Amino acid sequence: MTIGKHLRALLFLVLFSGVSSEAKQLAVIVDKANNVSSMTAVDLTKMFKFDSHKWPDGRNVVVVLYDPTSPEMQTAIQKLYHMQPEEFKALLAAHQSAVVIVHSEDELLKSVQSIPGAVGLVDVYSINSRVNVLKVDGKLPLEQGYFLKGN
Amino acid sequence: MLFRSTVYALPRSLTLLLAVALPLSAWAAPADTKPMPLGMTVTTKSVKARHYFEQGLAKEWTLHIQECLENMRKAVVADPNFALAHVLLSTFSQDPIEQVSEMEKAVATKKYASREEQLIVEWFSNSSRGQWIPAIQAMNTALQQWPGHRELQWLAGLWLTGQQQWARAIPVYQRTLRLDPEFPDAWNNLAYCYARTRQFDKAFAAMKKYTELLPAEPNPQDSFAEISRMAGSFEEAVSHYRASLTLDPNFIESQLGIGDTYALMGDEPRARKEYAIAIGKTSKDDQARAVLWSIQAAATYVREGDFDGADAAFQTQAGQAHENGFGNLEAQAYRSMAMYQKDSKKAAEWLAKAEATLDEKHKVAKQFVDQERAVILRTRVYRALQDSDLAAAGAALEQLRQLADTTNDGNVAMNLHSAQGALLLVQGKIEEAIPLLEEDDRNPYAMKGLVTAYEKAGRNADAERTAQNLAGFNEPVMEQALVVPQFRKDRVAKKPDQQTTAIRGGRIL
Repeated sequence: MTIGKHLRALLFLVLFSGVSSEAKQLAVIVDKANNVSSMTAVDLTKMFKFDSHKWPDGRNVVVVLYDPTSPEMQTAIQKLYHMQPEEFKALLAAHQSAVVIVHSEDELLKSVQSIPGAVGLVDVYSINSRVNVLKVDGKLPLEQGYFLKGN
Repeated sequence: MLFRSTVYALPRSLTLLLAVALPLSAWAAPADTKPMPLGMTVTTKSVKARHYFEQGLAKEWTLHIQECLENMRKAVVADPNFALAHVLLSTFSQDPIEQVSEMEKAVATKKYASREEQLIVEWFSNSSRGQWIPAIQAMNTALQQWPGHRELQWLAGLWLTGQQQWARAIPVYQRTLRLDPEFPDAWNNLAYCYARTRQFDKAFAAMKKYTELLPAEPNPQDSFAEISRMAGSFEEAVSHYRASLTLDPNFIESQLGIGDTYALMGDEPRARKEYAIAIGKTSKDDQARAVLWSIQAAATYVREGDFDGADAAFQTQAGQAHENGFGNLEAQAYRSMAMYQKDSKKAAEWLAKAEATLDEKHKVAKQFVDQERAVILRTRVYRALQDSDLAAAGAALEQLRQLADTTNDGNVAMNLHSAQGALLLVQGKIEEAIPLLEEDDRNPYAMKGLVTAYEKAGRNADAERTAQNLAGFNEPVMEQALVVPQFRKDRVAKKPDQQTTAIRGGRIL
């Protein structure tokens, strides 16, 4: 009965109500110096498609992404890019100076934390205090109707 | 299994011996905190408080919850500024009033604690208010800063488990076990995570390790029993529960487990008898569990179709909850009554009473009030759909949406999505319904809807997988009682020749 008891302690037995769903929700993260706290999905998409290059404070946008072939990128490709994998790779190749490709969550978090103007996408359960999390269309990850949610 | 806050780098067996052998007066009072090789920092100036805290945690790890709570309560009396003890007491307590008051004290006293403890307080206090982003940030910051603290890793695993993030909790427990391969509770929790993700082979292997580490403790037998029950092996479950009680007749969770198992087996009179023994063994200051278990016992009448008996039992328990100030449990009892009523008007009356109960003044954390309100509104949607009243379903859904807009609570959001999915399914919007229903993957109503949705979408393999999960769903809750037994009957009637997936007594053959 162990887990049941822990759950009861943590949630006071809301039997079917947990933040269930192992569906991944991606947090949009930026460095702590970034004073932007919220974006529309439209503006976010423009940024990740390299259609907008500057933050309001004038810094260049640097997009930090996982390897496009990784499973972590599938939600992003589906929600933000609406592209076939080959198109997506070509887009990245055309904007090499504005994109950093990483191969681990740790690398992604460290890159966003340390590169001025960086923006990245990471599983919400991996965020730490060294980065800021942006609202998208007024919502944070795990809120009802959040945009970057995989199924 | 003590924190190594006073004894550095000693083998654990020696640490334990010292802890047992040394009288309290022999312990030097530490005036500060230091990170230990394998444990999180613990800040208290009181030797007694530290002792009680360590004893409490050791009891928690062997699932002697009441003794854990008693020790934690003594710890915060001995040192009222002991933030870590306050936060863990709040977290482990099952009394909603104590949960709130202890969390307030943890926040108020965190200034006296180490940075690691402050992060733990931030993590759990934010979580208790549904502030998930700062909660997760605090958790991961602590984990990154003190990766070698096994208790911290364990707490993270526990929290993720509480969020039903079973797959995410698995690597956290694995890290805990790399730090200490003989940390029994990590094996125990890892086994549950595997079981929840239906990896029963790995679950039983982890459980075997847990049992070997604590052969004289009741909880390994209790856990073995629960996982056996989840796998549909009821007789083995009862046998393990009995073994647990033989080791410790006061391990009342095993007594409850026997009641649960008989309830799932369909022997409701026996289940009630076993529940009554468990409830009778709860202590005077453990009324929350007594009420909660009584609500579980009331559900046995629903299982045998005695709805008058169920009405009487649930009303009695609602009264008990009211007397104790457990507003969410009182509402749960009324909402449970609405779930099985044949008369929709009566169901609506009980749901209204449940909501009115939540509106009364009581000191239950807002999180739990919101969560119960969400389940009530979800039930309204289900009942309206059952009556083909789409307008009423839409109105309840809108209320649920408004509630979800006021909180970050993922439980509330999941109930909204589940209700939304159910309405979309009835409206024939199958593709939109599927991802919403998929979120509520431990609710038999949503699972049943999902089977239908998959079938309509031509996703037969997904439909069959979900049907198997639903038919094998063995958790002693109202939704199971109202959906699963009938689903099993319908399934066998529909596909009598499919022996490979036939269900007998919940076991997938």
